[in-house]
Order: sequence, then structure tokens, then C-alpha cells
Amino acid sequence: MRALSIVLAAIGLVAAACGPTTGGPTTTGQATASAGPVRGGTFILALWQEPVTLAPHYRNQTAANVAARVVTEGLSRTDTDGNYLPVLAKQIPTTTNGGVKLTSDGKMDVNWELLPGLKWSDGDPVTSADIKFTWQVWMKDPNTISRTGFDQIDSIDTPSDTTAVVHYKTVYGPYQNNFVDGLLPKHLLETVPDISKHDYNRKPIGTGPFKITEFVAGDHITGERNPNYRVAGKPYLDKIIFKSVPSREVAVAQLKAGEINGMWNLLEAQTPDLEKLADIKMVITPSPSVERIEMNTAKNQDMTDPSSTHPVLSDINVRRALIYATPKQSIIDKLLFGKAKPGTSPVSQGWASPKSLTQESYDPAKAKQLLDQAGWVPGSDGIRSKAGVRASLTITTTTGDQTRERVEQILIEEFKSIGVELKIQNQPSSVLLSGSWSGGDPRKRGSFDLVMYASSPGIDPHSIVFQRYYSKNIPSSANGGNGQDYTRFKNPDADKAIEEAGSTLDLEKRKTAYATALKLVNDAAVIIWMYERAGIDAHRANVVGWQGNVWDNITWNTEDWYLKPS
Amino acid sequence: MGTYITRRLLQAIPLLLGISVASFAILKAVPGGPLAAYESNPNITDEDLRRLEHTFGLDQPLPVQYLNWLGKFLVGDWGYSFVSHQPVLGLIGERLPNTVYLMGTVFLTVLVLAIPIGVLTAVKQYSWFDHLVTGATFAFLSTPTFWLGLLLIIAFGLVLKLFPLGGMATLGMPFDPIDRLRHLVLPVATIALVQLGSHVRYLRASMLETITQDYMRTARAKGLSEGALVVRHALKNAAIPLVTVVALDLPELFVGALVTEQIFGWPGMGRLFWDSATRSDYPVLMGILAVSSALIVLANLLADVVYGYLDPRIRFS
Repeated sequence: MRALSIVLAAIGLVAAACGPTTGGPTTTGQATASAGPVRGGTFILALWQEPVTLAPHYRNQTAANVAARVVTEGLSRTDTDGNYLPVLAKQIPTTTNGGVKLTSDGKMDVNWELLPGLKWSDGDPVTSADIKFTWQVWMKDPNTISRTGFDQIDSIDTPSDTTAVVHYKTVYGPYQNNFVDGLLPKHLLETVPDISKHDYNRKPIGTGPFKITEFVAGDHITGERNPNYRVAGKPYLDKIIFKSVPSREVAVAQLKAGEINGMWNLLEAQTPDLEKLADIKMVITPSPSVERIEMNTAKNQDMTDPSSTHPVLSDINVRRALIYATPKQSIIDKLLFGKAKPGTSPVSQGWASPKSLTQESYDPAKAKQLLDQAGWVPGSDGIRSKAGVRASLTITTTTGDQTRERVEQILIEEFKSIGVELKIQNQPSSVLLSGSWSGGDPRKRGSFDLVMYASSPGIDPHSIVFQRYYSKNIPSSANGGNGQDYTRFKNPDADKAIEEAGSTLDLEKRKTAYATALKLVNDAAVIIWMYERAGIDAHRANVVGWQGNVWDNITWNTEDWYLKPS
Repeated sequence: MGTYITRRLLQAIPLLLGISVASFAILKAVPGGPLAAYESNPNITDEDLRRLEHTFGLDQPLPVQYLNWLGKFLVGDWGYSFVSHQPVLGLIGERLPNTVYLMGTVFLTVLVLAIPIGVLTAVKQYSWFDHLVTGATFAFLSTPTFWLGLLLIIAFGLVLKLFPLGGMATLGMPFDPIDRLRHLVLPVATIALVQLGSHVRYLRASMLETITQDYMRTARAKGLSEGALVVRHALKNAAIPLVTVVALDLPELFVGALVTEQIFGWPGMGRLFWDSATRSDYPVLMGILAVSSALIVLANLLADVVYGYLDPRIRFS
């Protein structure tokens, strides 16, 4: 009998649970007939990656940056065109406005002036001491993700509550970008022995339009309006909730069903479906991510000797032929639904992008001609060989990536038609992209022929140009696997240009120097720049204010977002 | 009995140690590692990577890494996640209630439905009901959970719009028990339908064996009603094998449902394990594996003890 009553109770509950949908994203707020921002309401933004920590110096996930962007703010930010704009600072210090002073001993001082009257979301004042504290924590905390830039700082003086003078050890070009991830509140964290174990990880105190009031791991993160936000009357929304969803597909389904107001990061393949819907808008923003195929010019073997030569790929004619045989545009049209652009360099966006740089376009006849001239003779099976070396190569990319796997299929056919054999040798991304010498990353070790992956530079391209194309950064057992010059490209002129770019503050000079170095990379035909990817996000049609930004997270201007009553 | 349990518990110690060594070795043998996630970050230098490697203790020899973990684990320090920096015990603590809530509901639902269905299919062998149930149980048993889950989401979530597509509750709303239940229905159904199949099959088989026994015929000859016969004489004996199956299900209350939690975005242990596995978050993985292996060992012991208690033919020695 008891069993029966439990069954009945369960059926009752299920029946009750089948009731009509309630809740969901609401567009409360006063509905006004006139145009203009609507106040109030809750915005639900789906993230298919679960943010694990929001602390500026520990964050290493895009999703965490998306969520934390509504809370933590730095001194500066970058607009879509790559210009630096002040956030908590009055202005961006430059040599022209006197904010940056070069000292006689080849160092430099940068003078940051804070906006007056700034407050943390808990009401305490933001002072220059927080700037100094931020740098100190970044350098001291062993769990800090990256110290790039901060490690160039020698000391920081705080002559007044709103002024911080940053003394650099050298002339450091990307100084504008140094305090971009978010200031750390000294009053809260000064006495904390280990910030990684503090509640700050999940509920950081910041200066942004919202403050985190709830962090339910694996489920959602709630941001509520920051009463101390520096712009009066903003944000318009009462709340923003970041909802963890298991996958992009689920996010799309929830967006269609109206359970969420917006979602972060779609795949190109998902766009045709959403383009048809009137109540959903997609925001397509160019991104700095460039998919490429890098060609190993040294021998394909574990811990390769950088001065060794690849039996096939050391011949520039072969490399150039492979570039000619790569149908970038048709790959983009077929596999990426036209939502990408053919690539020409690793720096596709921003002030440093060498817009005039080109790469050989698809021309299989030219590819064959080059190989013929270079003495690669087709054998009975159509595959070429020269002096007993068969033109047979492997291509490696991350396993389980459908788009990349289909690109490989296309390349196998295309390369075969010019007489080059291509075999697939994919590896899990945790190995291929581990970036670790000891972890056996084949790019580091040099054990690959062709490797296909994507990489994005920051707004200041110096670190990637230096890491990837400066000859001292060829990883080898001799240098402990340092550097990311995976193709083993070396060129003294490129080295010189990169050195020049790193030692001047003149943006025009730096831009020219990078363009010179990257042109030399293209001249050497060591990398096929496949395509420049776009960032694709989507929201319900009644969302106003959402704007893509190449260099910032989609949540960079949530204070301007509102929901029109639908 | 007491000595039997003590002996089994003592035997479990080397077993669990062995399991932890094996788990650790397997985790370490997986290519990649916790630092792989940093590679795509253009600001991270090799120097940063080496510092983090040192911070996490990954630069030490493997046996030292293992002994460090074990030494701390035994005194209750389960370590901190490499990625979220949260204490492992805390991470488990915040996910466990969600998994117990989900898997507990599954557990009860399955039990409550499996017994009457299993009994009926056996008693009415070869009836239309039996054929229907047999067909359905085989269908569900051979359906992969991920597929069944997606199917239920499409049918009842997207098309019929009866249930939400995922999560534990509607966001931005105060606590509402009805809303909670609505979120529970599809994930529970996904796991329960599959589990139900196996439990019904077990019970049906053992019921069929029991009702053809001589003592059943005797009881029936003595004029017992069919209901009393089935419940009091047949089910009592036939349920014994089911006890073992059910006891072995108990660790799932902790482990959760990897696939289902992933599909429905359920913030439980299964997802914690999955996410930690994709990030090679060794401390979290080792913590979960240690507890789950201990629970499985205990559940086996429990099954044996209960079995012996229910079936006097089995004696502990």
C-alpha cells in the first residue's frame, strides 16, 4: 500500500510539474511608448563554458572574462578599432600629453591619473594604492596566470590618492595595456595571505556596473546593479545572470525558446539556422583569431635539431605550391558559411595589422608548375618525388573538431591533384596545443610536417610576433623548449625588425617594423594563413545596446544594455 | 558476522590504496595536462608556465606527487583545484546535494516502478503486458543515455514545451517547488527509463524462477489467494537478487550521472568530474575517484551482508 501511495504521489507531482511555463527572462521595467532606454529587468546570458574563477589575475577562460567584465575594470580598455581608451583613468598617458617620460638611462615612467571620486562596489574609495597593490599581487602571487608586462615594472610611486607613477625597467611599448584586466581592491585583500583561497575568486569586488551577489557553481552567476557605479543612472538592467549551459546547441535551443536573452559564442555552422528567425539577432564581430597551417622546415622528429632540414618541406617551392593548392575561399564558403575571411597574417586586427600584406591565392596550375620546375617528378601513382624522396606529408590538427577534419579532407584531395600526398595524424588538443616541451607538444618538439590550429594575438602583437618569428625562439633541447617559432623560421632581417619594434614607443615605427617581419615570414612561405575567424554571438531581438568589440568581451558595455518590452 | 565485516573492511584498505595508485597513474598517463589550457593565452610566457608547474607541484617526480597527495588526503586535506583554486572538499560539497537530489529521485522512482512491473510481467508471462514491457525494456536498455536525453529534450522541451530544457530551476525567480520538479522530470526520466529496464528484467527472471518452485505449488494447493501467494511467498524470495543490484546502485548517489548531467546542465558530481577531467584538474579528480571507489567497495560489502541476512542459506565464514 505504501508503495502504491508513493507512486500516486509521484504521478501527482509529475502532473503538477507539467503546468504552464513561468518565470524565464522577464522584461519587467516600465514600458514606455517612446523610444529610449527601459530601466529594470533581468538579462540571462548563456555561457557554454563554466567560469571557475573571476579574479583578474587567475582568469584564463574566455567565459570567465565575459562574466567578470561586468565587475572588474582596469585603467584602460581597447575599442573595436584597437585604440586605447581610458576606463578608470582620466586619460591614456602618452609621450605627447606628458603622461609618459623617457628617462636618460633608457627607462620610462608612466603617470596614471585616476578619475576623481571612484568607489569600489562596497563603497570604499579607489585610490592609487590599489594600482600599486594590483602590481604587487600580480608579481607575488604564485598562482598568477601571466605576469607579462607587470614583470617590466621596477616600482610604483603613489604621490597622491589619484596619481600612480609606474617606473618601468625598460622602454615598454604595450604599457597602455598593462592594467587592463582589473584593479584589485587593497582594502579587502591586503591582509589576505592567499587570495586564491579567498571568496574574492567568486565574488570579486570591482568598479563595474554590476556586483556579483550569487555564484552557484555549474549553474549560474548573478550580478546585481552596483549602487556605487560611477555613471549616474546606469546600468539600466537590475540584474545580469550568467547561466551555465552544457553546450552551444543547448544555448541555441534555450535562446529560441526564450529561456535566455543572449548567448556567447556560436559556431559558423549554427548561423544559417538562426538567420531565418526574426526574433533572434546575431552579432558577428571580427576576431583576432587566425587559423593557420604551419609547415615544419626542420626534420620531422622528436626534439628536432633546428638546423636540420625537412626532406620535402625544406624546399620553398614545395611550400609555395602547397599555399597555391589551398582553396581558402571555397573552404570559407562551404565549411564556414561565409562567416570568415581568407587570412594573410597572424595579426589580422588592430593598429598593428599589416593590411597590405598578401599571400599567394588559389592556383593549382601554378602549384604544379612550381613543382615541375623544382624537379619534383610525378610517379606512377601521381605522387611526385625528387632524388628518391617521395612528396608525402602528414597533417596534424586537434581531434574531434569537425570543421578542421573536413578542411583536412579537402586538402588531401587538392594536394593529391598537384602530386603531394597528405596523411592525417591528428592529436587531442590537450597534447597538440599543450604548449609544453615536457608535455610533448609536437609543435614544440618539431615532430610534425603540417600542423593546423588557430591563435590570437593580444591588441599589442609584440609578444606573439617575438615568440613566433624571432629566431632565438625556436624551441629546441638547447634552449629548454622555449619559444613558439614552430616552423623553425629564421631570418636575420626579421630578427632586426622585431628587435626594433620592441624598443620604441613610436606606434608608426613599430607598425612598420612588424609589417617588415611578417612580410619576411610570408616570403619564406612557411605558414598558410587559412582564415580569420569571426566572433559570433546572438541575442533576442528585444535586446538593445549589445555591441560586438574585437578586442573586448561581449559584456564590455552591459551598462548600456536594456530590454525592450516585447 | 562482526568479524566478517571487520575482515572485509581491513581487506578494503590495500584495495583502495591500489585503486588510488592506479587512478593516479592513469590520470598522469593521459596526454596533455593541466597546463594545456594556458597555451591559447597569448600573454602566457614559458616562464609563466614553468612557475605554474612549480606552484602546482607538477615539476616533482610522479611518486613524490602521489605521496604528497596521499599524505594530505589521509589527514583530510584534499587539496585545491588547479583551475578554480577552490578546496576540493568544498567543490564536492556544493555539487553533492544536487546529485543526491537527482539520483535519489531516480533511485526511488526506479524502485517503486520496477517492483510492480517486474512482478506483473512474470505473473502474466506472455500476456500483452509482458510483451509490451519486455519490448520497451529492451528498447530502453539498448538506448544510449545521451541520445535518449536529447530525444526527450526535443520532444517534451522544444516541441511540446512541457518541460524546461535544462538546469535545476528557472533563473531569476524565487524558490518554487513546482518549478524545481518541472526541471527534474526529464533528467530523471532519462536515467530511470534505462535503469528501470535492467531492474525489471532482473526481477522478472527471478520471479519466473520462483513461481515455478514446488513450494509455490504447495502454497497454492493449500488455497492461498493469488495476491498473497505472489507478494508473501514469491516476491520475498525473488527480490533477493534485486537487493544486490540496488545496493550496487547506491554509489551512483555520489558519482552522479556523467552523461545526463552534461546534457541537462545539471550542476552535479557527474559534471564536476567531466569538467575536471577535460581540464586535467588532478586534485578534484583524485578526490572524486577516492570517494567513489570507497563507496563502491562499501556497497559491495553491504550487498553481501544484506544478502546473507535475507537468505539464510548463505553463511559468512
